Amino acid sequence: MKNFHLDRRQLSVPYLIYLVLFVVMPLLVVLYYGFTDDDGNISFTNFIVFFTNSKTMGTLVYSLAIAVIVTVICLLLAYPVAYILAKGKYARKHSFLMIFVLPMWINFTLRITALKEILTMLEGNLAYHPFLNTVICMVYDFLPFMIMPLFNALTKLDSSIIEAGYDLGATFPQVLKSIILPLTVPGIISGITMVFLPAMTNYVVLDMVYNSTYIMGSLIGSYFSSYDWNNGSIISAILLMFIGFFAIFTERILNRGEKEEQRI
Amino acid sequence: MIRERLENICFNKHRSARVATAARKVIFASCTVVSFMLTGCNSDEASGAVVLRVSNWEEYIDEGDWDETIELEDGTEICGENSIITDFENWYYETYGKKVKVEYSTFGTNEELYNQITIGDVYDLVCPSDYMMEKLLREGKLVPYSESFFDASGDNNYYAKGVSPYIDSVFKGLSVNGEDLSGYAAGYMWGTMGVVYNPEEISKEDASHWDVILNKDYYRRITVKDSVRDTYFAALGIEYYDEITADDFKNSPDYRQKLSKVLNRTDEASVKRAEDILSKAKDNVYSFETDSGKADMVTGKVVANIQWSGDAVYTLDQAEEDGVELCYVMPEEGTNLWFDGWVMLKEGLEQDPDKQQAAEAFVNYMSRPDNAIRNMYYIGYTSVISGGESDLIYQYINYCYAADTDEAEEPEDIEGIEAAADGHPDDTDDEDTEPGSDETLSEEENGNAGEETVVYSGIGYFFEADTDEADEKYSVITTPDQLERQLYAQYPSKSIVDHAVVMECFDEEANERINRAWTNVRCFDINKLFVWK
Repeated sequence: MKNFHLDRRQLSVPYLIYLVLFVVMPLLVVLYYGFTDDDGNISFTNFIVFFTNSKTMGTLVYSLAIAVIVTVICLLLAYPVAYILAKGKYARKHSFLMIFVLPMWINFTLRITALKEILTMLEGNLAYHPFLNTVICMVYDFLPFMIMPLFNALTKLDSSIIEAGYDLGATFPQVLKSIILPLTVPGIISGITMVFLPAMTNYVVLDMVYNSTYIMGSLIGSYFSSYDWNNGSIISAILLMFIGFFAIFTERILNRGEKEEQRI
Repeated sequence: MIRERLENICFNKHRSARVATAARKVIFASCTVVSFMLTGCNSDEASGAVVLRVSNWEEYIDEGDWDETIELEDGTEICGENSIITDFENWYYETYGKKVKVEYSTFGTNEELYNQITIGDVYDLVCPSDYMMEKLLREGKLVPYSESFFDASGDNNYYAKGVSPYIDSVFKGLSVNGEDLSGYAAGYMWGTMGVVYNPEEISKEDASHWDVILNKDYYRRITVKDSVRDTYFAALGIEYYDEITADDFKNSPDYRQKLSKVLNRTDEASVKRAEDILSKAKDNVYSFETDSGKADMVTGKVVANIQWSGDAVYTLDQAEEDGVELCYVMPEEGTNLWFDGWVMLKEGLEQDPDKQQAAEAFVNYMSRPDNAIRNMYYIGYTSVISGGESDLIYQYINYCYAADTDEAEEPEDIEGIEAAADGHPDDTDDEDTEPGSDETLSEEENGNAGEETVVYSGIGYFFEADTDEADEKYSVITTPDQLERQLYAQYPSKSIVDHAVVMECFDEEANERINRAWTNVRCFDINKLFVWK
């Protein structure tokens, strides 16, 4: 027992076990199925088929379109809210924030069911505008995920830097462009990560608003229900690669930002 | 014990040369071991009870806790106090002197069940639909029922004694690679596919054809099941409408066989045209839904909804509670006859005679007429059991649907109506009978009760093979609306089932073709961005 020291490395053991069992192993299974054919031989046909089939590529484009639009709208809506909450002169900032984030506590299927009724009242028939409804419901669903990181980034932002900007004669747009936005890039990026990928794959929302066009999530589901594990897995693997690229990309931006900060 | 399980999973299965299967099993064996360690040991096997692992559809069995009792004419009272599974366990102990423990689990779709079986979940007795039973049989995964199971003279052989001769004949017509499905499967529930519609919004004439899903008059006001097979069937019904409604075709002596062939076509041209039809339908219907259709019918968001008959009964009941009167109709050109049944799996039973006995006893217990009624009452679907010697099922139909006339006190009234039924000497066996016509029904004003009643007499085929007399014997005096509602949905008349066909289990190639067509219907085509038509 004498030799036993509880250092930081041992603290990571519980999560490591969890990671291997529930993250790494399933991923390996997905990769195995993605790069094999029906008979278990290594094959890249699934991969090639995905990028050459006009329907799967169409689904990718359709999902990307939804995800980009939803993310942009979320960002445009969330940024001013987060800014006002973080920089406004309110006594109870965090209580206000809670009010914005509170909807997250209610199961999203319930919230969307309620929203569906409102949309039906406004539009007469939900099925007339499936794309619009999907975007509305996803924005509604994901908005809190955008507000949170932006709020955190903006609270951390030192107000004296902004004041210095004004003192030097900058107008608000100039301050926003040269000070606030660049310094909140990490918050923006984590907000985008929280919204973009779920928006690409969350087909439950599509199903609920009766959008019959598949997005990536529903396409994966349809392959699995027709026993085509290989093609279903390759799509999951490709999405995984997207996440990987995205992570590398954002890390670069963040590193660059840090270096600039150090220079200051 | 852990080792034992590992061995079961890894080595005791059929030695398959396929690397994929082996790899799959190793992967999932390790997962099973992990989950086993997490959940701890199961002590039931140790206590000497036979463990029967049953997997059934969600909400597809009586779970007990009723707050009312069914009182049938002959005084039989039926009430589900406990779940029927607990009752089975007790009954099994009383009858066979052995303990059985049912591990009951559920699945949502046939494909889900199939995937579960493939990744290593082990069940003894499962309840898939017709085509999935065929698929499992084709892959050699099933164990045949013992000969004594089909012996109607056995006291506890309620299935052999009670199964409807009609369902039995449908079963006997199905075979896979020369093996008859009937030896491997025992029916549970059956029904048809049709259209639930709101008579105030849409005419019966429009609703009674598959092309209702393309009808522009109901733009975005009809829902369709989000299911490849069901939508494909509807598409074939539209595609070959002219062919299957031609007089020559309908009057041909082997009409049913021919209809079954047409509505099971999977050649490339048929699939391609079905894809075009479904693409058009996608732009015209309200949604492809998995479960929301029932609620949307009741709230009036949609005017028609393609449903399985059991769900239709449920929807109609729900709507009634909300004061909305909906109807059900089966498309005239031909509809889908489906059934779910119990099959025993090789991987589960492992040639254990005790297990097989328990599994067969489970099916028999579910088939005992009073238990069949319990399940039917609870879930709204129609049991394949007609009762045989026992007339409980017929009494139950009367209990549910008979019009409120004081039959017992006015015997001559009944005779009068029967005489009226006699006045229409319709031979329902006749192949020339126009499908969809109401020839088997006769109407009679009932002066005494003040309420209009009709005699619904087309369901004798379900109870007895010889339909000529059975139709009269098993006629139901009911209110006219029932002819378009629950009674008609639950027990369709002979003229309807005559143009209902079972959808076969397609071969792999055809399945792939149809699935691809379905993906094409559902996916956004990137070419639309570049090619403007």
